[in-house]
Amino acid sequence: MEINLVSESLKFMVLGMSVVGVFLVILVQVIKIQAKIIDKYFPEKAPEVPATSNNANEEAHHVAAIIAAVTEFRKK
Amino acid sequence: MKFKHLLLSVLFAFMALSTSVQATPANDASVAPVAEESEYESKTIPQLLESFFETTGLNAMLNPQDGVKNGHGEEMSIFAQSWGKLIMFVIIFILFYLAVAKGFEPLLLLPIAFGGLLANIPIANMTGDHGMLGIIYNMGIANEFFPLLIFMGVGAMTDFGPLLSNPKTALLGGAAQFGIFGSLVGAAALSQYTGMVDFTLQQTAAISIIGGADGPTSIFIASALAPELLGAIAVAAYSYMALVPVIQPPIMRALTTKAERQIVMKNTRKVNKLEKLIFPLIVIMMIVLILPDAAPLMGAFAFGNFAKESGVVDRLSNEMQNSLINVVTIFLGLGVGSKLASDSFLVAETMGIMVIGLLAFSAGTASGVLMAKLMNKLSKEPINPLIGAAGVSAVPMSARVVSKVGSEEKPGNILLMHAMGPNVAGVIGSAVAAGVLLSIFK
Repeated sequence: MEINLVSESLKFMVLGMSVVGVFLVILVQVIKIQAKIIDKYFPEKAPEVPATSNNANEEAHHVAAIIAAVTEFRKK
Repeated sequence: MKFKHLLLSVLFAFMALSTSVQATPANDASVAPVAEESEYESKTIPQLLESFFETTGLNAMLNPQDGVKNGHGEEMSIFAQSWGKLIMFVIIFILFYLAVAKGFEPLLLLPIAFGGLLANIPIANMTGDHGMLGIIYNMGIANEFFPLLIFMGVGAMTDFGPLLSNPKTALLGGAAQFGIFGSLVGAAALSQYTGMVDFTLQQTAAISIIGGADGPTSIFIASALAPELLGAIAVAAYSYMALVPVIQPPIMRALTTKAERQIVMKNTRKVNKLEKLIFPLIVIMMIVLILPDAAPLMGAFAFGNFAKESGVVDRLSNEMQNSLINVVTIFLGLGVGSKLASDSFLVAETMGIMVIGLLAFSAGTASGVLMAKLMNKLSKEPINPLIGAAGVSAVPMSARVVSKVGSEEKPGNILLMHAMGPNVAGVIGSAVAAGVLLSIFK
């Protein structure tokens, strides 16, 4: 049987656009839901992340201060 | 003068010597090997010159013969051997010009064009199974492997932050896929009613994927559904991607008003790191449930992205986004270029593919922009319709174009991050569309 390419491709278009649309709509909804869940239960540990770096910084400061003190002490 | 004579006589003496030297062992050796091969006979200098001339490309192009075979053992037409080569050289030099002087997608156009140059060398048969280009082609394009590696690298380079912070812009990436399916209908109509070209449904599907503006996806689908059209499809896809800055702005301007183009969008919210980490897994789960046919493309993409966002395998993710993708780009370009041989490229179908590809691309841009206009009307937050154009995937070129047009309309209006959302959604959208097409023809 001769297939009518145009009607066939129109059917493909309906299928394709709806699958792409549905896929992305679901994706959008899932993203929104996960954003809510994550914000509620696992909020960005904003204070903690800088805290670690602060710790590192502080340590570095301490080390620098100790080194400075030691060198000052040795100079005397 | 004297010196020249001397030089010439030395040269002749040397040549005569070498011919006689060659002649003796050849006579002895000819007993043992293949009997078919004609015995070597002593040749004079003019004969040697003549037989050498016969092996030159100049001769092959000037005196095309019937029955000369290409690398795949198919006979080439007289046209493909002579004028066809010349036309291909011109086309290739145009591609070089676009890549080098204009900077249009040089990372791919340059290797593709150079591959095309090599593929069109007469006699050398570089596209054959044992030629360099043929080996590359069989290694990773015929089996759809290279596009997946590219996708892995693209995944490792993509930041889904903009999409996650404003998820509804993902719909624009879906709308732009109308370019694929609209041009599928267009190609089918062209083939059914005009009789200019005679495409099968598989071929129309492979061509229309150009509208997704995604090179790897196009190559992936083309080698799965219509490998005979791969060269033209890949070249069309990459040249239109390269021409994004030329093709898109007029369409964007035509479909929007000046006021709409000047819309300033709100700053996006900050995205939790955990969201970014989970996102590739969500995509994979959706592929598992809805569309396993898109698994190769989305699997590679999500793997690259997960490696990047996990933050614990920086070595792997750096490899994917740098060396691996670079190596594969070289091979992909040369391999695709091998399909630019005059005998397979200069056919009526190529023109059809170029035209349909352009339509597909334009339709994708237009539907993205129109969808963005609609969303702007319906949504509370303002949406600049220009970002709809970034729904065709072409990452990150089309987002940059959107941003450029936006800032031309209103200096200081930076749309780049807003456009990246639909842009990366477009990658997902066209991979999904590709999966749908593959599922139809299974």
